[in-house]
This record gives sequence, structure tokens and C-alpha cells, in this order.
Amino acid sequence: GAAVQRFLGPLLCLWALCLPASSGAAARGLDVASYRERVRAMFYHAYEHYLESAFPYDELRPLTCDGQDTWGSFSLTLIDALDTLLILGNVSEFQRVVSVLQEGVDFDIDVNASVFETNIRVVGGLLSAHLLSRKAGLEVEAGWPCSGPLLRMAEEAARKLLPAFQTPTGMPYGTVNLLHGVNPGETPVTCTAGIGTFIVEFATLSHLTGDPVFEDVARKALKALWKNRSDIGLVGNHIDVITAKWVAQDAGIGAGVDSYFEYLVKGAILLQDKELMSMFLEYNKAIKNYTKFDDWYLWVQMYKGTVSMPVFQSLEAYWPGLQSLIGDVDNAMRTFLNYYTVWKQFGGLPEFYNIPQGYTVDKREGYPLRPELIESAMYLYRATRDPTLLELGRDAVESIEKISKVDCGFATV
Amino acid sequence: SCSRAKDVTMPAKLPVSFFSTRSPVVDLFRGQLDYAEQLRQDSEIALYFFYAPWCGQSIAAREEIERVASRLSDQVLFVAVNCWWNQGKCRKQKHFFYFPVIHLYHQSFGPIEYKGPMSAVYIEKFVRRVMTPLLYISSRSKLLDFLSNYEPGVVGFFEFNASPQPPGYLTFFTSALHSLKKDYLGTIRFGVVTDKRVAEEISLVHSGSVYLHRHANTSLVYPKDIMNFTAENICKWALENREMLIRWLRPHGGKSLLLNNELKKGPALLIFIPYNPLEEIHPLLDEITKVALEYHKCNKSQAAEPELQHVGDSDSPAFDSSVADAHLKFSETFPIAKYPCCNTVVLPQWHSISRTHNVCELCVNQTLGVKPNKVHVPHCNFLEIEAALDSFYLQEHTFFQVISNTIECSNFLSFYSPFSYYTACCRTVNRHFLSFISSEKTIFQTPKVAFSSHGKKDNIQFSIPHIEDRNCFIPDLNISSLNITGLSCRTNKTLNLYLLDSNLFWIYAERLGASRSTHLKEFAAIVDLKEEVHYVLDQNQSLVGPTLENFIKNFSVLYSPLKRHLVDDPSVHFHEERVVTEVTTNTFHETVFLSAKNVLLLYYAQWCGFCASLNHIFIQLARLLPPNSFTVARIDVTRNDLPWEFMTDRLPTILFFPHQRKDQSVKFPEDFSVNLPNLLKFILHHTSLSSSEPCTKECLHKESVLQQGHISHLEREIQKLRSEISALHQAHDQLEAQLSEARREEQRLQQQKHTLEKQHKTLQLHSDQLQATYDQKNQELLEMAEKLQELADASENLLKENALLRILVASRGGKLQSKDEIKEPLQSEQTLSEDDISLSTATAALEEKRIDSIDAIETDHSSGNRTE
Repeated sequence: GAAVQRFLGPLLCLWALCLPASSGAAARGLDVASYRERVRAMFYHAYEHYLESAFPYDELRPLTCDGQDTWGSFSLTLIDALDTLLILGNVSEFQRVVSVLQEGVDFDIDVNASVFETNIRVVGGLLSAHLLSRKAGLEVEAGWPCSGPLLRMAEEAARKLLPAFQTPTGMPYGTVNLLHGVNPGETPVTCTAGIGTFIVEFATLSHLTGDPVFEDVARKALKALWKNRSDIGLVGNHIDVITAKWVAQDAGIGAGVDSYFEYLVKGAILLQDKELMSMFLEYNKAIKNYTKFDDWYLWVQMYKGTVSMPVFQSLEAYWPGLQSLIGDVDNAMRTFLNYYTVWKQFGGLPEFYNIPQGYTVDKREGYPLRPELIESAMYLYRATRDPTLLELGRDAVESIEKISKVDCGFATV
Repeated sequence: SCSRAKDVTMPAKLPVSFFSTRSPVVDLFRGQLDYAEQLRQDSEIALYFFYAPWCGQSIAAREEIERVASRLSDQVLFVAVNCWWNQGKCRKQKHFFYFPVIHLYHQSFGPIEYKGPMSAVYIEKFVRRVMTPLLYISSRSKLLDFLSNYEPGVVGFFEFNASPQPPGYLTFFTSALHSLKKDYLGTIRFGVVTDKRVAEEISLVHSGSVYLHRHANTSLVYPKDIMNFTAENICKWALENREMLIRWLRPHGGKSLLLNNELKKGPALLIFIPYNPLEEIHPLLDEITKVALEYHKCNKSQAAEPELQHVGDSDSPAFDSSVADAHLKFSETFPIAKYPCCNTVVLPQWHSISRTHNVCELCVNQTLGVKPNKVHVPHCNFLEIEAALDSFYLQEHTFFQVISNTIECSNFLSFYSPFSYYTACCRTVNRHFLSFISSEKTIFQTPKVAFSSHGKKDNIQFSIPHIEDRNCFIPDLNISSLNITGLSCRTNKTLNLYLLDSNLFWIYAERLGASRSTHLKEFAAIVDLKEEVHYVLDQNQSLVGPTLENFIKNFSVLYSPLKRHLVDDPSVHFHEERVVTEVTTNTFHETVFLSAKNVLLLYYAQWCGFCASLNHIFIQLARLLPPNSFTVARIDVTRNDLPWEFMTDRLPTILFFPHQRKDQSVKFPEDFSVNLPNLLKFILHHTSLSSSEPCTKECLHKESVLQQGHISHLEREIQKLRSEISALHQAHDQLEAQLSEARREEQRLQQQKHTLEKQHKTLQLHSDQLQATYDQKNQELLEMAEKLQELADASENLLKENALLRILVASRGGKLQSKDEIKEPLQSEQTLSEDDISLSTATAALEEKRIDSIDAIETDHSSGNRTE
């Protein structure tokens, strides 16, 4: 359920952007308007079934038509869907959901929550809804954007995460109990993305609330990662936040690392921060040097630079979008076209794709409707207006409707 | 970014048919590949369409396939196979990397994969090629037709005599099919000649020989003695040796370096025409072909115009060895009298030639090289003279001998182009002589001329007329107009020619600057990747042979009159009301240079993340700066080209064009963070610079007015802020007053409360007292009642006593009466009366007492009421 909403956001943007360029698309026989309507219908199919069968649980289980709590107990799909509602122009539903969340969500609960997921989904979702609320026509408080009910909720949620950052290195634990703080027996091993994916939300929060603690902990964690990169400039997959020893030494751009790089760039853009950008550019150099082969990015050993896994992961598909943000549009397009061939082969992106064999990796064939590739297509379309990118949009709509649609929503395939 | 194991799964849905049942395409939606093979046995030509039901491309291609099938279903078997259904044979046997895949079979030959555009006409054309890979050429005229085509043609000559099939024919036939496998665009066409007389036209004598026709180079005959006569070899030979005068480009939309590789080869002429491969005749294409053939016809030009060819070779060593011969040629072909464009130069003192000569006559020797088209170029271009002068000054070493009385001429190469020459004739003249020249034009016909070529001196005497007045020389159009024939070999800006189908690739034309509004999708552009420029053929001219020729010629000449095309984003509409002005290529000059304002220009791009985060700063800045003297603007440089000097290689870039000094634009320093104070400082710094410059009164006045305006604007701003402050103060005071009032009120209430409490206490006391009195009174009352009771009892007793007494009295009276009656009645009567009196006084006293007690009760009651 939630996966679908996250997924549809970029797709909607892709079609929303098509309006001015429809002449180019028409040359290839793409009926942009009808696809836009189909995407809208897909969203409501998932959203209405969530409200009907799963609310107030976190997510809908589309095959059994019921709900479950997956990341806490925050009615997560609603928080996730807020911005999508605005993209669709459904302001009244946005307003309704905001008031539902204000009443129904409580963070004083005895739940072990992932620090990373709670940040990106709950804090991030609430912050963006807060900042968008005026645009949505919601009546805002006098001090907006520095005060507001959604901001207070976001701050409350973020404060619950702060105990995780109380480590010798400043790198956070992966899991925290929202009521009691870090559990005594908690593992100190955290994935890289779980350490470096806070700056955007936390810095926003600090700027809006005036409390610097959030930005400070996020920066401290980033600096700790930067300090612990290998001699050849790469970071591994998992690190011990107490001893700063790398536990998993595969370096790449995919699962476990992905959003670290993403947040370096987006944080640099948000804060106009040269330090973050220079960090990313250094990493980018090392990544190009050691992991890039024929516009694919492989997994290498972080100290030696030798290839450890020649696979493409569907999570890596965010990379072309990131490249386009820093102006490397040519390379972005090439890598994107590589990834698009995988989509053409399967009608979705398998979690792992073995590049030399040209097939999926056993047990990793699934596609949980991840949005990364479509998001990249959206960024690249903004940059190039290449009609090929609209073809991906068409393929995504057709495949997801044909393959993953079930009575109660859209299921992982 | 972590996935969870899902415990619930559902099997995939059963496949359903992809094509409608009425369609001429056989739809094997369960992937029955074996059945497909069976079907193929009965059909000569078969087309397989392998699809995946979820695939958008397959869905899009479905319609096209159906259209082709409806036209060809009587000759070709169309089978669609679902190659995704995981129970199907196809999925198990085939392993495709994309969908749809189209395979064609010609009997047992195959599969031939179709890789062209998924458009019905292209597919149909390809299918027809597979059906008849060889074209039968029956007559001489058909042969000429076949050979004149722009695409390479391979002709096989096979004599069909008694034997059913001549040897090698089948191999040739297969090679034609084979070529379709390799060359999916089908550029090489295969024909077969059976008539000996026709074959003689292309000098084929032996049956079984294969001939590859080439336009520009010599045609080839397949070397049977070197290579084995197999289908693969023939195909390979043809592909390797074919000549591509003009190529179709069909980018497939996937990852490909096709365009990059082609454009890297050099400048390219891209011609977009709507193309229907099924049509028999393409008049426009024929015309383009003609131009292309002419352009590449280098060999024939040698025969027709040997002198031109000679010039082309003039750099070769052969020239030096036959100087005399060459010179003869020069004298014949290039009479200096025909130079249209000359300039007299008085040499400056520093020039080395000035030691020997002081006046030179410099002529642009256009006839030696490529000349611009007369329609577009003025006869004498100022730029050319300028360039000639530049070259001339660089060539000073070519004149070094001291011959004061002769005219010395030198031909030398322009350092810009090997095909442009300048001729300089120099001599020494004194003032008297100069005046003489002006009066006597023929004077220069007599002196001897020293003529040197390439800096190598040839002291051959030659007389030239003096060229002083351009009007005397009518330029010879025949010589100066450039012929396209063989041009590709004469210029170092050789073009590669490419065709694109505008039905499929119009987007590329739009990117190059084709207007979107035209209905006619014809467009031509020259792209020079190395120079990073491209030129566009004016879309108002129709795309025909002559215009194309002119376009090519104008590109080829030195100092090309073509202007670099700057692509403009047409989707931008000029909005006056926007605070930040959106600039495009078209509005750039007007907005930035012509306006009498300071202009701050932001270079950005859609993809540029760092630019997007500056938007709010720029909007704020635009609101802050006075709009009548400042323009805040931005330009999307990925969609709008600008002249080189205004381009940037870094985004975001901020340029400031100060008013009245627009040429002295300043760049916002990169190492400063872009924020409002920094930008304002930057702007103010560079606007105020102007006042320090020497300035006329008017300018000063203007400046002061501007500053005044500035100041007044700021003052207004300050005023506004002040009033805001005072408003706030007032509000504050009001609040204060309200607060103190509230405090007072509170105090008052407190006091009231106190008094009330006091009152309450006193009342309490009062009520206690009253209670006490009440109790007391009650007590008294009770006592009184008791007393009354007592009294009542007493009175009752008294009454009883009284009654008793009366009875006693009565009894006594009776006794006394009886006694008196008996003894002394008078005496007894007296005593009795005394008794009566005492008795009555007692009764009276008793009654009095009773009244008293009632009174007491009454007063008791009244006081009790009062207390209550």
C-alpha cells in the first residue's frame, strides 16, 4: 500500500510535466492526457482501499485486504500520501487527513522504531505537509512556517529519535524505543544510509524551530562517516557506531548506502552548503573510479576496490536523478538507459540483477514497486524532455497495472 | 530501504488473449512456441511477434502489426507469441532482453530480426523486402533506375538457360536475405539481371558475377578468386565496400552513440523529410540525392574543370617541380584584372617591407579558392579585406629584395584557409608619383612586376593593370559563383549528409530550432560538433535542390555568411507582471542591452538543483530593488543559446550589467555565498562605480536623479518600516494599558472579595448570636410554657378547689340555712358573705395572672419572629 503511494508520486510528476512537451510525445503516439487519468485512478484505487480496509494501521496488505503496523503505529500511509494528494490537487482530502493525523497520531508509545524510516517517512512527511499546508489553502497559525500543529508533531517525533545519537562516535543506532530510548541490548551495527540520512529533515526542523540540536546531530553523524571513509575514498555498507569499525565492507551506490549520497547532494542544495557538496564530489570521484563499468555501478571492496558483486540493485536507480541534479546529465542518461533495459526485460526492476548473466539473482527477483527509476525519469525529463523518458512512464503504468494490481490495491511482485 | 518478507502470495493471473479474435494475427497467448513452429511449415513467409502482455512497447506495436497483417495476411503468416507466461514453451526456450521482438522467416531461412521503427509502414516495407529480397531487372532503363538510387545497389548477373537454376544464384539470393539480417535498415539493395545485353551495360560478361555499384568511386566486381562465393562473404563484401553518400539515421531511443559517432566525423548536414517507405516515388528524396551526387562527384569535376582540380592540388610537391607550367596556368585562369576586391595599403614604418616599398595593393584572390554564392555575399566583404591585411602583415618576410622601381607581387595563402589567396603588389612611390598615379591610371601597366608564389620568389615579369576603383571591374559571376559539383573534395569543411524521417524524429529538428508551427515537416541543418555551432536552413525557403545547394555552398566558403543558429525556447511567454523576468534568446538583447536599467541576470537550468534554491532570493531581491531602474532576470541556458561571449560553463552564474556600461558586465564571485545581503552589496558596489568615472553634467544629473530615486525608494521603505514600528508601539501601549486595567480590575475584585468575606464573617457571627438568642428564647419559652402549664394546673387546682369550695359553700350554706332556719340564720349569713368576698378576690387575682402569662407568650412570639 504505502509502497504504491511513494511510487506514484514521481509518476504523477512525470505526467504532470508532460503538458508543455506533449507535441514531442504525440509524435511517438503517446496519449499523455489519458495516461495522466490512469495514474490518478491507480492512486485512488490504492488510497481508497487503504482507508477502507487498513486505516488506522500503517499499511494496507493488498492481498488479504487488511492493515498492519509496519514501522510503528502512525497511520504511515496517510503521512506518506499527503504530498501526493496535493500533487493530485485534492486539497479537501489533504485538509481532512491533516486533521485526522493531528487527532490520531501519538508518539508516546512503547514501540521499537527504525530511526531511519521514522525520520524519512514520519518527520519528513509531516514537515513537507507542514510547509505545503499554506499552499494547500489550509489556515495556518500566526507564526507559520515557524509554528504549526504539524511542525510540532514532527518535532515531537524527531525528539524521540535523539537518544539514538548518544554514541561515542555521534553515529546513531538503527533502532530506538519511542518511549524508553535505546534498548539496553540494542545492536550497534547500523547501515550507512541509516547514519547519513538525516540532514535534510533535521536541518529543516532546526531552521524552523530554532533549536540547533537536530542539525548538529545530523552533521556530526555525517562528519563521522566522512572521517571513516577508506583510503581510496569509499564507504562500506554497515558500521559499528560504538567502535567505528566497518562490519560490511561492500561499497556501492545501492541498498544500505543509497540515501547517504542522496542527502549529501540534497542537503548541499537545501543549505547551499559547500562542505557537503565537496564531500559528495569526492565520493563521486571514487565511485566513478572504482565501481563504474560501462555506465553500470557495481559493488566493490571498500579498501581494495576489487569488484565483489557485479549486480544492479533496483534501489540504485535513484542515481541518474541525482546526477542530473548536479548537471551530469549525459552520464545520467546513459546509466538510466542501462536501467531501462532491465525494466524492458522484466516489466519492473528486480531487487538484484546480475549484469554479466543478464538475469535476476535467485531469491531477489521481487519488485516491491519501488519508485526510484521513475523518479530518475522525472528528473531527467525535466532536464532533457527526451520522449524516451515518457515511454518509461507509459511502460511503468502498463506493467504495474497489468502485473501488480489486485482487488484491494497494488501488491509486490 | 530494507524489504520485509511477505507471507502472503498469490499466483500470477492466467494469460488472456492480446489480439482480438477477429484479428488476422494468430495469437498464441499461452506461449505455444511448438505450435507456432508447426504453423510455419505451411507458409513461405512468416512473421513472429514475441510480446509480453505488460509491455507498453508491445501494446503500442500491436496496432501497427495488425495494420500490416490486414494488408499482407494473404501472403504472410502473422503469429503473435506471449513469451512472458511462465508456463509457456516460449518463456522456457527463449530469453529476450526486451519486448516486442519481431522475427521473420523466408521459408527455412531465418530468423531475420526486425529492428527498425515500430511503425506499420516500416514493418510492411521490411516484410516486403523479406518476401522479395532480389529485384528482377529486366531492361536497360530499369537497370539505370536501379543504379541511380542513392542507396548502394548490388547486381548479380545470372543466365537462366536450360538448367533450372544457374550455379550461384541461390547463394546470391541467400546473401540478399542475409544482408537484411545485418543491415536492418535495408540500405543495400539487391538486383538480378538475366539478360546478357543488359549485363553488358555494367560490363558483366560471365554469368554468376556480382557487381557493386558506386557513384563516386569505381564500381566493384565481386572477387571470386580471392573470396569464397558464399552468402556471408558477398554480404560482408558489399557492406564493407558500399559507399554511403547519404545515410538514414534512425536512433532507436535506447542507449546508443549513433548520433555522437556520426557527428564526430565532421560537420553534418541533417535533412528532415517526411518519408513513407512504401511509396514508389520520392521526388524530394530524388532531388536531395542529385545534390548529394553532385557534391561528391570529384572525379568528373577533374575532367570538366581541370584548373579547379589543379588548384586543389597546388599544395602538392608536383607544383614545385613544374613551376613554369603552373605559372602558365595561373596566368590563364586568374588574370589579376578580375580581382574584384582590393585595397591600397600605405605601409607603416615598422613593417619590414617598408624598407623597400611604401605602398602595396592588396587584392583578395577569390578565384583561387572556393567562392561564396553571389546571392548571399556582397562582392567585397570588409571582413575579407581585414583578414587579408592580417595575413599580409604576418607575411612580411616574403618581400625582402630591394627593387625600388619595379612592382613586386606575391601570392600568399590566407592563414585561415588553404583555398584563399591574397595578392599583394608593392612598390615605392614618392608623393609626386602618387599624384601621378591618381591622374594616370595606365602607369602600372608598364613597370615590371616581380611575382612570387608561396613566399618563393619567381622573378617572372608580368604586367598587371592597376586596380584602384572597384567600379571599373565588373565581377564575373561565372567565376566567382561556386559550383557544387565535386565540392566535397575541394573544401576542408566536407559535409556528411544524413536523412531523418521527420514523421519519427521531428523532435530532433525541433531541438535544432525547427519551428513547431509549421505543418510541412521539412527541415535542414548543418551541425558542426567540433566548432559547437549549427546552422539552419531558413524555414521560409522550401526545401528543394537549389536551396540545399546554396546552403552547402554558403557553409563551404571562407567567411561563411551563415549565422550560428541560436535555439530559443518557444514555450516561454513574456509575462510583464512577473517580478523576475524570464529571458530567452530572442529577448536577450532587448532586455539586457537595450533597456535603460541595471540588469541582474541569473543563468540557470531546469535540472540545476542549486539554481532552484536561489529562486526565493531572486524574488525577494526583485521586490526590493526599484523596478524602474533595475531588472532582475533569469535565463534557462539549456533551452536558450546565447552568443559565445555571454555563455557560461557553470551554473548557477549571476551576471550584472550596469546601466550605461552594459559592455562591462560583472560576474558575481563564485566563492561568495549567494544571499540577499551579498547580492545587494555586489549590485550596489558595481552600480556606484559609475559615479567615480568621469562624467558629463547630464550624466551626473541623471546619476543623481537615479540616486535620488534610490534614496527616496529606500526612504519610503524606511518610512514604511517606521510606520510599522510605530504601529507596533501603539499596539504595545494599548496592550499595556489593557493589562494595567486588567490588573486594577483584579485588585478591585480582590478587595471586593475581602469585604465580602468580612461581611460573610460578621453575618456568620450574627447568625451565631441569633442562634444563641433563639435558643435562649426557646428555652425561655419552654420555661414559660412550663410555668403556664404550672399556672394552668394551679388554676385548675384552684378551679377544682373553687368548685369544691362552692360545693363546700353550698353544702355549708345548705347546712347553715337549715341551722339558721333552726338557730341564728342572720349570723351565718354574715360569715358567708365574708367568705364570698375573699373568694371573689382570689378569683380576680387568678384571672389577672392568666392575662399576664398570655401577654408574655405574645411578646415571646413576636421576638422569635423578629430573630427569624
